[in-house]
Amino acid sequence: MGLHATQYKGLLGWIDARMPSLMTAFRTHMSEYYAPKNFNFWYFFGSFALMVLVIQLVSGILLAMHYKPDANLAFWSVEFIMREVHGGWFIRYMHSTGASFFFIAVYMHMFRGMLYGSYKKPRELVWLMGWLIFAALMAESFFGYLLPWGQMSFWGAQVIINLFDSIPLIGKWLSTWIRGDFVVGDATLNRFFSFHVVLVPLVLLGLVVGHIFALHDVGSNNPDGVEIKDRTDAKGRPLDGIPFHPYYTVHDLYGLGFFFTAYCAVLFFAPEMFGVFLEGNNFIPADPFQTPTHIAPLWYFTPYYSVLRATTSDFRLWIALAAVVLGVAVFTFMRARTRGVRYTVLAVMILAFVFAIVPKLQQDQRLWGVILMGLSVMVFALLPWLDQSPVRSIRYRPGWHKIVIGIFVVAFFVLGYLGMSPTTPTRTLVAQLCTAWYFAFFLLMPWWSRTGTFKPVPDRVTFAAH
Amino acid sequence: MTASLQTAGGPDVPDAPLTPERRNAIITACVVGGAGCIGVAVPMVASFAPSEREKAAGGPVEVDVSSIAAGEMRIVEWQGKPVWVLHRSPAMIASLKNHDALLGDPDSKRNSNYPSPDYALKDPSTRSIKPEFFVAIGICTHLGCSPSGPFAPNENAQLGDQPGFFCPCHGSTFDMAGRVFKDKPAADNLQVPSYRFKSDSMIVIGEDQKKSA
Amino acid sequence: MKRTLFLVAAAAAMGTSLGLHAQEPRLDEWPRERATDLVALQNGARTFVNYCLSCHSANLMRWNRLNDIGLDDQQIKAKLIFGNQRVTDTMTVAMNPHDAKTWFGKAPPDLSVIVRARNTLEHVGTDYIYTLLRGFYRDRSTLTGWNNVVYPNISMPNILWERQGPREATLTRIEEKDIAPADGKGPTHRRLVQTVSQYDSNGVAAVTQTELDHGEPGIAYGFKPVDPAAAKAFDSQVADLVAFLNWMSEPEAQTRRRIGVWAIAFLVVFVGVGRWLNRVYWRDIH
Repeated sequence: MGLHATQYKGLLGWIDARMPSLMTAFRTHMSEYYAPKNFNFWYFFGSFALMVLVIQLVSGILLAMHYKPDANLAFWSVEFIMREVHGGWFIRYMHSTGASFFFIAVYMHMFRGMLYGSYKKPRELVWLMGWLIFAALMAESFFGYLLPWGQMSFWGAQVIINLFDSIPLIGKWLSTWIRGDFVVGDATLNRFFSFHVVLVPLVLLGLVVGHIFALHDVGSNNPDGVEIKDRTDAKGRPLDGIPFHPYYTVHDLYGLGFFFTAYCAVLFFAPEMFGVFLEGNNFIPADPFQTPTHIAPLWYFTPYYSVLRATTSDFRLWIALAAVVLGVAVFTFMRARTRGVRYTVLAVMILAFVFAIVPKLQQDQRLWGVILMGLSVMVFALLPWLDQSPVRSIRYRPGWHKIVIGIFVVAFFVLGYLGMSPTTPTRTLVAQLCTAWYFAFFLLMPWWSRTGTFKPVPDRVTFAAH
Repeated sequence: MTASLQTAGGPDVPDAPLTPERRNAIITACVVGGAGCIGVAVPMVASFAPSEREKAAGGPVEVDVSSIAAGEMRIVEWQGKPVWVLHRSPAMIASLKNHDALLGDPDSKRNSNYPSPDYALKDPSTRSIKPEFFVAIGICTHLGCSPSGPFAPNENAQLGDQPGFFCPCHGSTFDMAGRVFKDKPAADNLQVPSYRFKSDSMIVIGEDQKKSA
Repeated sequence: MKRTLFLVAAAAAMGTSLGLHAQEPRLDEWPRERATDLVALQNGARTFVNYCLSCHSANLMRWNRLNDIGLDDQQIKAKLIFGNQRVTDTMTVAMNPHDAKTWFGKAPPDLSVIVRARNTLEHVGTDYIYTLLRGFYRDRSTLTGWNNVVYPNISMPNILWERQGPREATLTRIEEKDIAPADGKGPTHRRLVQTVSQYDSNGVAAVTQTELDHGEPGIAYGFKPVDPAAAKAFDSQVADLVAFLNWMSEPEAQTRRRIGVWAIAFLVVFVGVGRWLNRVYWRDIH
């Protein structure tokens, strides 16, 4: 009759006989997806991020019922939601707290990848899709932050869009095209609303689905970096694997309890988080004629903002120096598969040197700042190829690798903190040092990651029953 | 459904089915989690309801009735709807008796679809607090058009020798107290909103008459 | 003597170009317990309506929201609304922003969220506004005849002057300046200069400058009220006003915290249940 054979009974059986894809998907991705049993604390944050995505979508839809994307009405409409819509304050705080928690979850999630080599073969695509999600998330929060139309919203958008001016030849035209006007205005607000509510959420959803599918196709990594599919039983199930459902659904539910507790503690008791999540300046309606004394982006952008500000005219000297060092190192030591890669990297280094330091061809520090800021975000995507370590997990790498990563984390936090504060000569110097370490960490990784005495990687995962 | 809840098993995992303890834990988690979900859903659902701004816009409206001449009707807006304030002349008031047989619901017994307040229905023939002033929501109880009128006797073909109101959309007719005539598409009398006399010359639409009156 | 006079002249010439630094003067701490004190909030509402609402609007505040601080519609209509507004209207004012800009140089900002707008990483809005409103001093040299220690050359006049009462003010500023040598020849050198400005209750200033060998740059101030008891009462009234402004910035703050306690309590229970559920499955994993 055309019906499929089904093992299920009742209503489920009726559906399964006609649309087996549903239960097949459930089995493939949940009840028969064998995940390593030794997941630890770092492995919660993927599902936390997914939960926050749902929260943002729901609260966003509810906010969009009342918000008005018009330069004259936007600011008031947000306060209208806070005061006059029943439960409006709760929905608004859900969304603003959610934005920050999304980045907390995503940064922790990315850091797990760095700790355990989750981006290494065969998971490069998972990592790349994840990086695209990260970039889309940054775009989403950038567009969303203009919507309340406060002072910080307005001037933050003005400054960042003006960065496009520095692109040679097309810069000025491009920033006008993006804005829809000569300065950030109503036209900009309306299109950012469309991007924030429709365009980027659709892109994000698609990328998240792709990210999870890409992961499930190759299987999850684990804190020991051991490939569990290498040791399977008679039925082909990994010896160290357990079905995601019910073990990890239950495990993640437990973890979510803690996550929600932190989230609600912030939402109900400190939604502004002392000006870090909701800035004081943004409670002043946007005024195109008055720049606040102190413009800073939201905390999750501040590390990259720091890199931008650290790029002064003197800093170009360092860039030129770095280009020379890297150029020599690449040419001498790099074990790339093809000569093409080596020569391309060398060419890039020569160009960098020329555009940094050679008079007449030297580009000003504004363009370099934009380039370095962009690079500081993009460099994460290159990790699968920068990391040449023979072992995946930090547990079996030389002990001093932990120190290297530790200093990177410290540099990242310092850059983040500096990005929130006004500049002074000392702070700029510190930011430059941290930027240097930041880029050295990544660009020299092909060498340091394979240096040192590595510990033997076990056959099976290490697991303590609990 | 039980097939999906059971573990698919694995080398390190015996094919343990749903033990009673596991079932209890699942049910407890569902109940507690469900309570949490309801708690979160409450403000979300509430956000759909009219906000303070809508409620303020839908606030009471004051009408000075001393400026309405006998026989004249003023239409004011309240909660986005047209409200008729008709100063009934003695002839109009007299016309309210003696035609109960022609009416679909002469005593306003059907009050549930378009509820009018009790104090307005104390006298079923006038359907108002004071007989000289008739206040009603000018929306036909059939499908929502606004009837025309008031028409004097023999001024409108459908009404004939009865004074009243006529709805042009599907032909329903109402008398000078908003009561619907028999055999018309509309089945209910026109709705009387809450209103009260703040003074002899001022009515407030949208606020209830206090008990003392 | 000659040196001092020269310094005064130099400072006068250079002081304006250097401008006033973003260094903050010390801010007084607003008494936090008034945030939830209904009497304080109602008193603050009254002060707000009587003194502030003529120039500053509060467009996001509906009159009937004052029900939340214990005032009913009758009281609001009778005591607080001076005009034809209904109790369901918002606290708008008649002053036209364009006119205001011409008269004051700057349109008086809407005060609905002013306390939150003044929260920075360095200070909280309540302390800032509490100090600002009590920081006015008479200064003959400004347009309005008033100046302010927290916001120098503020466009706002001291509306509460009657309640504040007359007082003297002393402002001390220590900063680094480029001082030209006394004979006018040679390069300038950077010295630490202390400027003490003393304002009497009529706003006439007496300024003295000295060079310091060591000290921290900064701004300090002190006031000497003619009637200290009245000054204390004034402080209390301003504290109530700030309490009201703080409430107005986020009327739902108390509700939020109250519900938050329940939410966290619920989540603690949820974590407990989650732990149990987790354990009944993970016991099997070895």
